[in-house]
Amino acid sequence: MAERMQLCNLSENNFEQCTKCSICTTVCPVAAVTTDYPGPKQAGPDGERYRLKDPAYYDKMLKLCLNCKRCEVACPSGVHIADIIQRARMRASEGKRASLRDTLLANTDLLGTMANMVAPVANAALGLKPTKLVMHSVMDIDKHRTFPAYSRTKFETWFKRHAAATQDAYPNHVSYFHGCYVNYNFPKLGQDLVKLMNAAGYGVHLLGKEQCCGVALIANGLYKQARRQGNVNAASIRQAVNDKRHMVLTTSSSCTFNLRDEYPAMLDIDTSDVRDSIMLATRFIYNLVDEEKIKLVFKQNYKRRIAYHTACHMQRMGWQLYSIELLRMIPGLDLQVLEQECCGISGTYGFKKENYERSQAIGSILFKSIEEARVEAVATDCETCKWQIEMSTGLPVENPVSILADALDVEATRQANGLK
Amino acid sequence: MVTSDIYNKEYDVIIIGGGATGAGTARDCALRGLSVLLVERNDYSTGATGRNHGLMHSGARYAVTDGESASECISENMILRRIARHCVEETDGLFITLPEDDLQYQQTFVEACQRAGIRADVIDPAEARSIEPAVNPDLIGAVRVPDASIDPFRLTVANLLDARLHGAETLNYHEVEGFIINQERVEGVKLLNKHDGSHVEVRGRVVVNASGIWGQRIAQMAGVKISMFPARGALLIFGHRVNNMVINRCRKPANADILVPDDTVCVIGTTSDRIPIETVDDMRVTREEVDVLLREGVKIAPSLATTRIIRAYAGVRPLVASDDDPSGRSISRGIVCLDHAQRDGLEGLITITGGKMMTYRLMAEIATNAVCAKVGNNAPCVTATQPLPGSEEDAPRQGDTSKRYSFGQRAAIGRHGSLAARIEKDNDIDNALVCECEGVTVGEIKYAVHQLHVHNLVNLRRRTRVGMGTCQGKLCSCRAASLLGELNHDVKHAQEDLALFLDERWKGMRPVAWGDTLREAQLTATIYQGLCGLDNAVNIQGKEDMQ
Amino acid sequence: MRMDTVIIGGGLSGLTCGIALAKRGQRVAIVASGQSTLMFNGGSMELLGSIGGKTVTSPLEAIATLPQSHPYSKIGAGNIAALAASAKELLADAGINMEGNTSANHWRITPMGVAKPAWLTLSDHLRIDNLDNLPAKRVALMCIRGFFDEPNGMLAQGLRDLGFEVKAIEFTTDDITTLRRSPSEMRASSLAKHLGSNNALQRVADQINALAGDADIVLLPSVLGQNDDNDFQSLQAMARKPLRLVATLPPAVAGMRMQTQLRHYFKMLGGNYLMGDTAVSGAFDGDRLTSITTAKLGDMPLKADQFVLATGSFISRGLVADYERVYEPVLGLDVDADADREQWTRFNILEPQAYMGYGVATDGNLRCSKQGTTIQNLHAIGSVLSGHDAVKMGDGTGVSMLTALAAAQSILA
Repeated sequence: MAERMQLCNLSENNFEQCTKCSICTTVCPVAAVTTDYPGPKQAGPDGERYRLKDPAYYDKMLKLCLNCKRCEVACPSGVHIADIIQRARMRASEGKRASLRDTLLANTDLLGTMANMVAPVANAALGLKPTKLVMHSVMDIDKHRTFPAYSRTKFETWFKRHAAATQDAYPNHVSYFHGCYVNYNFPKLGQDLVKLMNAAGYGVHLLGKEQCCGVALIANGLYKQARRQGNVNAASIRQAVNDKRHMVLTTSSSCTFNLRDEYPAMLDIDTSDVRDSIMLATRFIYNLVDEEKIKLVFKQNYKRRIAYHTACHMQRMGWQLYSIELLRMIPGLDLQVLEQECCGISGTYGFKKENYERSQAIGSILFKSIEEARVEAVATDCETCKWQIEMSTGLPVENPVSILADALDVEATRQANGLK
Repeated sequence: MVTSDIYNKEYDVIIIGGGATGAGTARDCALRGLSVLLVERNDYSTGATGRNHGLMHSGARYAVTDGESASECISENMILRRIARHCVEETDGLFITLPEDDLQYQQTFVEACQRAGIRADVIDPAEARSIEPAVNPDLIGAVRVPDASIDPFRLTVANLLDARLHGAETLNYHEVEGFIINQERVEGVKLLNKHDGSHVEVRGRVVVNASGIWGQRIAQMAGVKISMFPARGALLIFGHRVNNMVINRCRKPANADILVPDDTVCVIGTTSDRIPIETVDDMRVTREEVDVLLREGVKIAPSLATTRIIRAYAGVRPLVASDDDPSGRSISRGIVCLDHAQRDGLEGLITITGGKMMTYRLMAEIATNAVCAKVGNNAPCVTATQPLPGSEEDAPRQGDTSKRYSFGQRAAIGRHGSLAARIEKDNDIDNALVCECEGVTVGEIKYAVHQLHVHNLVNLRRRTRVGMGTCQGKLCSCRAASLLGELNHDVKHAQEDLALFLDERWKGMRPVAWGDTLREAQLTATIYQGLCGLDNAVNIQGKEDMQ
Repeated sequence: MRMDTVIIGGGLSGLTCGIALAKRGQRVAIVASGQSTLMFNGGSMELLGSIGGKTVTSPLEAIATLPQSHPYSKIGAGNIAALAASAKELLADAGINMEGNTSANHWRITPMGVAKPAWLTLSDHLRIDNLDNLPAKRVALMCIRGFFDEPNGMLAQGLRDLGFEVKAIEFTTDDITTLRRSPSEMRASSLAKHLGSNNALQRVADQINALAGDADIVLLPSVLGQNDDNDFQSLQAMARKPLRLVATLPPAVAGMRMQTQLRHYFKMLGGNYLMGDTAVSGAFDGDRLTSITTAKLGDMPLKADQFVLATGSFISRGLVADYERVYEPVLGLDVDADADREQWTRFNILEPQAYMGYGVATDGNLRCSKQGTTIQNLHAIGSVLSGHDAVKMGDGTGVSMLTALAAAQSILA
């Protein structure tokens, strides 16, 4: 046919391509633990046909979706099942206000800013039994949860005081999207990245203006705010990429996935021009090593047995390979790669009282496999997986960047990369 | 009632044909107090009734060329909105003018609509794009009319149900083989029971020939000549809705100029070709028809170019030559009711034909009036005001979001209206989905099998939409076949029924078997033949005619 | 990123090839675009089940008569026995216990109670060596209440037609009734999850022990063990009768189990399994493929000395048919397919369909070609190959495993 029609079937989120093979249903962690959730096939492509006919066919139980994207990874037809579900939730929530609890949970940076100012008090208060009970009963935040501790000093503050001045001296440069977790809760991860990159000859720079990537805002239905913040971030990233010719590195798989893929898919923020320049630090570093542009030298006496957990969004990005291969470069590291399972937290999902039990049930397969791996620590690229695994297994969980920085022989690496 | 009792009664009227017209006539006759038998050679709504656009015309399409049909349409349109709510979706329609069309025609069109009493509002192209985002954005003109979408399967079933509620008997898979004629008077019909191959005779005072394009053959059996002119139309079904309003081209009717949102899918059509009467049973869609439909369809809605086509089908319109011009040059598109006593000197036979699915009720009223005149019944026609079963005033509407309803229950309400209340839903198994694409539950299948004359899976599909979704019966057909075998206590034929069902689905997929539709077909073959060995177990050659 | 071999496609053929190579110390990456068609496998491997509508009893003999275009002929009919033996060994190494041999087909029992010829069948699944000498007489067919992906009526009828005395017994347990609260998610795979604890298995065993009566053998839908056959073994230990599983409608637990075990084994051998990634293009240097680009790895292509195309047929999008042609979408390789769309299919669904035999064109060594030039370091294996019909010939899994092993041999040579 001359018009070259029907050469491919395309539709929003490829739901056209669903052959109803039902493979997605076999990997859904939510459907595995509750019969209230209709499963990815029903919630996604099947339900979408009805919602196209009449939005009234929206099923409220779609709120149970974790947005872990495991269905998309398993789908042999390339259907963006979870995106279909998220989009449907978004349409259904139009004109509705998020609850105070959801707004609080979603605003990780707002909560962080306030908490930072009074970190010791906040940590104590958020950990106190009465506070927890109030949160449990009034706010519907589950009492089993402990908010990640807030750091006394923000990463940005530390960076300005202790690192900013020396960065220009390095021969190469990158920008760093640190995310809320590094900024408010765990500046050490950011410090580890600076340590690692500096040793490899790269100066690290903050973005012109960084706001929370909005992953939690999207999950909690605060789309407008997420879009506003997303536009700020997109502009800052463009500035770094286009004006400074920097790669923009990250240390959180969820932030990365959000910036690269959810901005266009959920928020209609087109980041295609800079998408390839946003990447996890492990991918960037692996590539430098692979192309022999840098060398990493590790400590001789480093000896640990660690299990690597592939976060769901990491798997969706397909980048676990880089973190795993980098960790495998550490001579003294005995790395056990776990079968990919969902930990059940999914950002703020597991913090909600109504989701707590489900969240733990979902994670139980992973917790068991961690236990069986007999390791001293777990490595993962996602901070919310970290909270969940630490709470549920008692084992310390570290970002691969921290493990690399820890195992690194800084002096030898600096020398190997021609630095003084 | 057992079948032999049905045979042994004598009826006021026997109606031949289980399409919308036959079903409507059965209902009307029954409501007026006549004793009624309806016979259908296949399943209900297998002819033109089940093979059209599912478009509830406002009449606008005929306004310029055939004012009388247009007036009939708008009047029936308004009636069906009231009496057949659960079969109708009030979508409204657009008549769009594209750059290649003459915008002058729009004025002619609007004036003609006004003459016929059809509301036709000229709207700005920008407004058209906003209320119907699927429309070709290049449009230069748009008129909004009260078109709607209607489900002919449901409509037919609702008429049959009401006919039965009022004492009518209906038999599918009973084919007329001849008439009992005594002294220039039809006194009944000779039937072949296709279930068991037996031959029977049933008596009636009047026989109504409501068999659509097959009416010529039926009339022939009574020694009466009617010249039908079969006009074949092919259509394509897309996997989901791209549009939520009917979209027509604002120009003289031509190929593939209407896109209708039907339930979960949308349908583009039709082609229009005169075919020899001998070929009316061959419903194969040709490559050329697919090409034309696609080429024209994308002009209406560009996204059709990349939307998956799930199947193609064709139907035959029963057009009739006017009696005063047997050459066939003057063909009526309107309703034709022939009293063969007046026309041919054969008493007791009436033919109702021509018309369209849209005007089935009016056709039924006309035919019933003719019957009543013969049998001396003076009861008034009430079908224009009395709602069909399922469509009572307080019936729940589509997509009822009430918490009590699961997806399957809501889908069932969309299909059966208030009758959905008869579907068992008090236990988890009855609520379990058999067809996941279309949300058909075990309970709905039980209801259909027990209440709606279901003999095989294809019948079940017409009553419930089982297997009518994207995958055309991937997992659901096996589930449904098992369930049907269990309910009908006929496990032995379940495999054969399943294979015949899959074959019937395949016949529609084959003309469009490329892309994802071919993938779907390969997956179905992998499951039912590779994994299950269905092809090793059955031979369906030559058994397709019971569908 | 540099590998010795990159395999495009993570199903049965890709994993078999990857395991064979990784075992010999190669650094291998498999790019797997979602789950594979093993999800539709009921727990058996087939070498060759039928030729021209006639059932094959001795596959090796029948393979010798296949046309030159068939993949078996390309890898050499004389090599089939040896390759099949190594395939069976590889499966065993991966922890997949299967029984059967190449000299004579046995019969697997399908969800519809049809006996189909097979080469290997999972040892916990029902298998009949000789239809004239059934392994048991009285069969208790345990039917799970509310589970609709096992057509119990058809299955019982089929078993009766084979000569068994069948008692169909409906049963349920708390776990099963809980699962059935979901209108859509009571599938074989979800049952396997819900029954995957000793307590749940004990409840099933209690039902079997109470209801199986005088049966010689108890049949249960294949809803046990997504990852291994441990759940089956546990249930067998609790039940007082010999148990066997019968395949269900998909997603099939047996196939998922085989896929999982093969993937584990491949990873254990150090292989990289890129789940959910898709190869989108390749870079050629003359008659050699130098790297492939994937959707996820983006601007960091996978480089390797050798490449294997194991992308499957239309279902898996290893082949694509559009309005006007059939093509290979990743590398634009030459395909064997009819140009005219009307030739792809036949009017009746149960006839052999021409499209089933389409695939990439290969030389006698399974190497692909692009615009007539043989690509020296690119082999094609499995369902993407032309010249066979998995549905009508019952040769799909055999072709997948054996061509995979033949390609691995060629790569290692």
